[in-house]
Amino acid sequence: MAEDHRLRELMREYQSGRFEAFDEIYASIAPAVRRYLLSQARDAAKADDLVQETFLQMHRARHTYDPSFPLMPWTMAIARHVWLMDRRTLSRRPWAPDDVAAMDLPVKAEAASFADRVEVRRALGKVAPARRAAVIQHHVLGFSFKEIAERAGIAETAAKLRSSRGMQQLRALLKGQDK
Amino acid sequence: MTIAPAELRARIAADYQPVRPLRSPWARTLWILPLAIVALFAASIAFNVRQDATDLGWLGVWGLSIAQSVMGLLVVGAALRESIPGRDWSRGGIALWLAIPIVTVVGVTLTSWEASPVFLRAGWWLVGGICFAGSAATALPVVAFASILAARAYPTRPAVAGALLGMGAGLMADAGWRIFCHFSEPAHVLSAHLAAVVMSTMIGALVAVRLCGLRGEKHALHEPVGAGENHGD
Repeated sequence: MAEDHRLRELMREYQSGRFEAFDEIYASIAPAVRRYLLSQARDAAKADDLVQETFLQMHRARHTYDPSFPLMPWTMAIARHVWLMDRRTLSRRPWAPDDVAAMDLPVKAEAASFADRVEVRRALGKVAPARRAAVIQHHVLGFSFKEIAERAGIAETAAKLRSSRGMQQLRALLKGQDK
Repeated sequence: MTIAPAELRARIAADYQPVRPLRSPWARTLWILPLAIVALFAASIAFNVRQDATDLGWLGVWGLSIAQSVMGLLVVGAALRESIPGRDWSRGGIALWLAIPIVTVVGVTLTSWEASPVFLRAGWWLVGGICFAGSAATALPVVAFASILAARAYPTRPAVAGALLGMGAGLMADAGWRIFCHFSEPAHVLSAHLAAVVMSTMIGALVAVRLCGLRGEKHALHEPVGAGENHGD
């Protein structure tokens, strides 16, 4: 109860212009925020990033805090929002990893006839990055050329070209490995 | 002791200035009052008071509409409360706030119908279209202003906040429109008039999501703040 009153008072001071109150607020509630985010993200580095993002959003939303209410529900609602927004952003972000070897590639269609997944991964790693991205997004992740073009900020025909040249390069690389 | 990372502290310090806390959601709802009054009187001033006003009486015409409009204001207040982190409504609360307005419209409709049954015999689609469009258009200014009020807070579920404020605006607009439209036949009111409330609800949700999207772009979440930097925990 006393802790709750102290936090409300600190937040009131932070709203009214005492910047030093931020450090005290951070020291008091960051561990709890981190515990919550860690339970969601299950990744310590990610949780640390999200803690910082939560405090940044708390700062931006500080005018919405009403000191007549407890601070923690307000904070945790922002932390939850940050976590959900992060998940949503990641799910929408175009994805073409540089570390092809780490990918769990579902080898399908044309690629299935090639030697094995390891060789496909290795060969994909040698394909030019822009072409590789187009190949992965189209043949592995199932994006249409229109979607790939929108994400890369290029014309649809350019996306098709990148994908087909990427596949050509991939075939050539795999044939080279066979010989 | 947990210490704030230097980069986070620097970013916040660069942007720091004193702020005045937002007033309570219910106090902020009063800012909508002038628009609610305009919505209440607009149709009757632009066209006329319903032809069966004498049958319905003052309470049946104005009393029911004022009650419906007040209900609309309460729903907008609920939307503004939803826009504040940590004060969002539970699922049951949201369901209740969305159900009460519909029950209100049905109740007002049946009361009017019982007191003064007026059938819509011809021009079903035309009259329905006019009532739908007029009512939905009257709600738009309220939706716009209430969305700005909601976005000035920090809605963590903008679609919910927007749907609530849209429904509140729709109720206010319909409260005014029923003062003009004398066709009390439930089939007309519960299709055209209620559809306008539903439309306003959807517009509210879309506008709030868009406004909060713009806010999100302004305060992008994914500008890294020293990724994984020394967290003193």
